[in-house]
Amino acid sequence: MTNVERFFHPSLKTVLALGFVLFVTSFPLRVPEAEALPAFARKYQVNCNVCHTRPPRLNPFGEQFLENGYQMPGTEDGGIVAKLKYGDVTLDDVSNYFAVLFGVDGVTNVNLKREVPGSEDLTELGTPAIVRLFTTGTVTENVGFFVDMTSIFSRSSDVEIGRAFITLNNLGGMDWAHLRVGRLDPSAYFSMARGRPHWVPVGPKFAPPFGSFATPTVTQWSLFQSAYASKFYGLFDRSGAFIMPFDSTLYNSPEEVGIDVHGRPFGDWFLYQVGVLNGGNERAGDSNNSKDWYVMTRFDYTQSAYLSVNLSGFGYFGNHNAKVLGGADVSRSRYGVGARVRYKWLDVYGAYTIDRVTDLPTGMEAIFDSTATGVTVEAHALVADRVLIGTRFDHMDAGGLLATRKSATFVGLQAKYYLRSNMWFTIRDDFNVRDSEGGRSAARNLRNRFNVSIDLVF
Amino acid sequence: MKAFWKNLTMAFGLVLVLTSIVGASEVTEHDIQQGKSIYERSCLICHGESGKGDGPAAFYNAAFSAPRARDFTVGNFKFRSTVSGSLPLDEDIFRTITNGIPGTMPSFSGLSSEQRWQVVAYIKTFYGGFQEEIPEVIKLAGLPILSAAESVRRGKILFQDMDCHSCHGRQGRGDGKVALAGELHDSRDLPISPNDLTNPTGWKNGATASDVVRTLFTGLDGTPMPSYESQLIGHEDDAWHLANYLLSLSGQN
Ligand code: HEC
Ligand code: HEC
Repeated sequence: MTNVERFFHPSLKTVLALGFVLFVTSFPLRVPEAEALPAFARKYQVNCNVCHTRPPRLNPFGEQFLENGYQMPGTEDGGIVAKLKYGDVTLDDVSNYFAVLFGVDGVTNVNLKREVPGSEDLTELGTPAIVRLFTTGTVTENVGFFVDMTSIFSRSSDVEIGRAFITLNNLGGMDWAHLRVGRLDPSAYFSMARGRPHWVPVGPKFAPPFGSFATPTVTQWSLFQSAYASKFYGLFDRSGAFIMPFDSTLYNSPEEVGIDVHGRPFGDWFLYQVGVLNGGNERAGDSNNSKDWYVMTRFDYTQSAYLSVNLSGFGYFGNHNAKVLGGADVSRSRYGVGARVRYKWLDVYGAYTIDRVTDLPTGMEAIFDSTATGVTVEAHALVADRVLIGTRFDHMDAGGLLATRKSATFVGLQAKYYLRSNMWFTIRDDFNVRDSEGGRSAARNLRNRFNVSIDLVF
Repeated sequence: MKAFWKNLTMAFGLVLVLTSIVGASEVTEHDIQQGKSIYERSCLICHGESGKGDGPAAFYNAAFSAPRARDFTVGNFKFRSTVSGSLPLDEDIFRTITNGIPGTMPSFSGLSSEQRWQVVAYIKTFYGGFQEEIPEVIKLAGLPILSAAESVRRGKILFQDMDCHSCHGRQGRGDGKVALAGELHDSRDLPISPNDLTNPTGWKNGATASDVVRTLFTGLDGTPMPSYESQLIGHEDDAWHLANYLLSLSGQN
């Protein structure tokens, strides 16, 4: 099974279906603006762009709202924006707490150089669709929650629970400490957050062998951010599943079980974050009985002139959170810096990370490169109220087994047209900067990928 | 009958607001300092450090069109109970902060009322005029006219006669000639569109009949939405007819 497939939980299909039906049936009851607006926008009666540069990327105000546990910055207003109540739960609550993202890939054209020597370039067409149901909000002052359920129809119609956590905010004083407990995305407050990407994640494709300590054939490189990728060839998680070199991991994992604290005790210019995770990509349990931990600091300049700048750095210290062939434990750690500059219509951000594998079994050093690096830089420009164009650069200097490891470099171009603030079309093209070569290298076989898609959030 | 009492209480509330004395309680230096720190946490990100409406998040809501976050340094306010060109009352600013502005500024009712008064005091320091000028409150005579078929009918005629439709469109959907021609701009020279009058949830200055009457008397300064005080003074009934008509567009009364 692949990393992605392992996270699917069929039993949750009902949850999504039920939530969806509840939501959809409640929807016509309350549409405050001319536009249909997702949960928070509905609750506060504001446009999506109050919090987003353009959905789904947060703007500096949206970041403050997120940091304060889904409460207006400087307030503890959780739960107080109350409407007409029917007991403790109102019908309004349904639309105030639920949001649905529906994305359809209209056309995807993938240009592959097949790994089997002699085969022709190949063009594939596909129409995968994504449905994500979010339920999030505050239940009372300083107490909030977030649950994200995703189903990607092209891979499986099952539902994956992504993040699911509870927030406790403003502990010890306004902005002193905000706590998250559960399955959370550690890098949510970093300069380049893992979540809400403007670049729809493009997953990899695999072929057998699957199974414990087997290395599946990667038939198509994925297009996730390289800075956040695992970067190593030849690592397995604690259950023996192969860790894809491009899967987001460690500090930039989409979700890991743990506890995380952040705050701004000295004012808006400085944010701290510390956290402890089970680590090891484990959905449940903690088989290694040791924890990974991380610390992040971020410096912000947010004053005036439509300008905001931030710089951040983190260290993530792994503890027996992976294995190598043969089953020996190793530890993966990551150090990274990130920066973001927003000025009027321009938004530029990026991250550079260094990953290290330590505690390698003796004798392995000679065949295993224990250091890898990755860089991702993205830029977006809002060229009109409804048009956002962007570009992205990804480079991974891969580590791991010297015999198989392959570095990769990709460039992406993208244009989005927002029909409404909650509905947009995307045209995207990614291409491989490196020459294709023979052999079985997914890092080189994906030459170009062109995609047109539509997203709707409501 | 219910509607009559509702309108009457609202009108009474309006009169109360209009007659309340400006700056009822003494503002201390301490309040202003507290207001500053609240402002920096909650408002700066949009309104900017110097109050110019150029905070780091001010650009995104409508990047190339209005409304941008308010520039507090020029003393131009939309939501007032004072005559056009006058500064707002403290109560007006307080109300905006409490209710928020549908579409663009969230409600800050999560701040305690003391905190909201403190931030009002701080916002006023951005514009010197607040020290010198005395806001002139609009005067309304007579009692509200409750909504009835006859009032709505007269409002409809007034809406056409007073040329509201040139901006708001014949059906009030915001698609009048002038609007469609792209001729409307606000005081920051950003293109602005007239409200869709069939959807009162988006009305920024409030959506009760007395709110609409206030809007018509004060105008929305800094936007093309004019004050109709000179036409409506002495014809307050007409203001209520217009308000009743506008509210009837969405099926409300
Ligand atoms: C998310 C951005 C945002 C935040 C945060 C914000 N505002 Fe605003 N504010 C706006 C926008 C946009 C407008 C202009 C809306 C319009 O003109 O329709 C505005 C307008 C105003 C006005 C002018 C009302 C009038 O009569 O013209 C006041 C007063 C105000 N804000 C006060 C505050 C205070 C106090 C805070 C902090 C507690 C705050 N705002 C936080 C976006 C924001
Ligand atoms: C010159 C164009 C113009 C004319 C004429 C005009 N309006 Fe407006 N009106 C506007 C604009 C623009 C706005 C939106 C202002 C904003 O969003 O800040 C507006 C807003 C409003 C609002 C909503 C206020 C709120 O709370 O958000 C009402 C009600 C309204 N107009 C009623 C009228 C009526 C009634 C008339 C005729 C008596 C009229 N308008 C004439 C341009 C106009």
